[in-house]
Amino acid sequence: MKFFDSHVHMVSRTTDDYQRMAAAGTVALIEPSFWQGQPRTEVGSFKDYFNTLIGFERFRASQFGIKHYCTIGLNPKEANNEKLADGVMELLPLYICKEGVVGIGEIGFDDQTKLEEKYLRIQARMAVEADLPIQIHTPHRDKKKGTQRTMDVLEDTGCDPRRVIIDHNNEESVKEVLDRGYWAAFTIYPHTKLGNERLVEILREYGGERIIVDSAADWGISDALAVPKTAAVLKENGTTMETIERVTYGNPLEAYGQSGQVSESDWEDAEGVDPSALFAGNTLFRGGQDVEEAMAQYKVIT
Amino acid sequence: MTLEEKLLKILQRTANVEAMDWLAQECAAQRADFVQRSFYYAFSGVSRRFDKKGGLELIEADAEELDALVSGFALEGWDQFRLGRVILLLVLAEQEQDVFLETLQKLLGTADLREQAAIYSALPLFPRGEQYVEMAQDGLRTNIVDVFDAVALGNSYPAQYFSDEAWNQMVLKALFISRPLYKIVGIDQRGNAALVEALSDLAHERWAAGRWVSPELWRSCQNFISPQVVEDMRRLCESQQPGQREAVALLLADDESGGAVADLKAQVSSLVDEVKAGGLTWDQVGREFGKDCFSVFDDKQSDKA
Repeated sequence: MKFFDSHVHMVSRTTDDYQRMAAAGTVALIEPSFWQGQPRTEVGSFKDYFNTLIGFERFRASQFGIKHYCTIGLNPKEANNEKLADGVMELLPLYICKEGVVGIGEIGFDDQTKLEEKYLRIQARMAVEADLPIQIHTPHRDKKKGTQRTMDVLEDTGCDPRRVIIDHNNEESVKEVLDRGYWAAFTIYPHTKLGNERLVEILREYGGERIIVDSAADWGISDALAVPKTAAVLKENGTTMETIERVTYGNPLEAYGQSGQVSESDWEDAEGVDPSALFAGNTLFRGGQDVEEAMAQYKVIT
Repeated sequence: MTLEEKLLKILQRTANVEAMDWLAQECAAQRADFVQRSFYYAFSGVSRRFDKKGGLELIEADAEELDALVSGFALEGWDQFRLGRVILLLVLAEQEQDVFLETLQKLLGTADLREQAAIYSALPLFPRGEQYVEMAQDGLRTNIVDVFDAVALGNSYPAQYFSDEAWNQMVLKALFISRPLYKIVGIDQRGNAALVEALSDLAHERWAAGRWVSPELWRSCQNFISPQVVEDMRRLCESQQPGQREAVALLLADDESGGAVADLKAQVSSLVDEVKAGGLTWDQVGREFGKDCFSVFDDKQSDKA
């Protein structure tokens, strides 16, 4: 099976993860801009971070035959530093129309402060202006209200819900998100059981339309294989293959494909991996390793 | 025909109509009212309008016409993205000096690889050309082959504006990372004694390590046949490696100084005859023997930095 993980922070992951993802069938992924576990103090740090997303990280992924896309934006946590946030707002227009940038994200609410709302609005307007999809981070605390408030702001700004992917949904938030016409993504964190019975139930109730499964793997305890593993669990629990394919591959492709920056031919017509390729003088492979062999041990679902 | 018209005409041969219309509109809009943010959108947004795998179709007359418009300017190896962006940069270059420079620095500081290549390729087209020397040298410090190539190969900027010191560094690095020297604009004109000394030293280093060097290395020595180079040629004459004796013939074909040189020339006399008959050139040596020397010469993926 092929998978498209539309939310995964690869800068925090090792090549072991890339190998395992490739072996498990992940052909493409999206890396949303996020905070890095601690707040940045200079605008230049954002510039270099964005440069990494469109540069070295893309190259790293390509070394494992995975297509790497990204969304560019100011996350809500760091939106609370107004001076820094203003600097980032000046930086964003330089990045959002670049090749392989499939949206503005991840943006939204964290503490649901006024400043968070201010920068959500500015970035939502930017997305409308640049005709780009939006990837929304919903707050982990007070999720239901925070998600509603996010949608209110987006609609007030003139965003088309069909071009917005709202992430980190749960049973409480999903109904309204779908009813209002948005894409609803579910992050499968380890230990939350969302990958098991809960998601099976959700798919039973809502079907596969406009629902997306992602890993949101980052620098914390998380699983870069969450998408293929969830597919395996869904299969065991009797979810149809058509629905599984839809939520783990077809839907993210369609949702972010609206940017015009990602299409199936990107990986279908790819020329394969060149382990000898270099980026800024760096290579990832040491001492003539065999990529295929290294990856074979990681197959999860076929 | 202006340069912009010529470039648009070339791009039009392979790009689709909607993309060309969009580009024309963007150029007109920026000329009427320059807005930095919308320029960023346009510059990076070329990737949203043109074919990401789309190349150009060059015809024979192009080279001469382009050279007449900007001496040494050529589009060999460019794609649609690069040409579309360079056309936009021509519009940017019409802005006030400080706006232009500030915008250019911002674009370069946040550019992806293909955008960097476009900016460096456009350097010979910018006004007050002496201002971009540091920018170009920075570009050469990269280890990304495509970015290095954008500055060093098929680009008339270094030959026109680089000091000997900067020029020599570029040529030496091109050899180190196996780039084709015959594609460096001005390679024959910018030779100098310091470069020749450094090239000879490089050859000696390689020989000492049991490796051999591209015959193109000797091209810059053409007008600087020092006693050291004569010694080196002795070694080349004995070499069985491809292109080495050809290099000697090319260096000495017009040399009538006699003595040791005449002796060497006699050793490669049939090749000298070929040079005189126009059947052997440095470009040819680069194209033909470079391939043997660097294995899969034109395939950038295989080049090691």
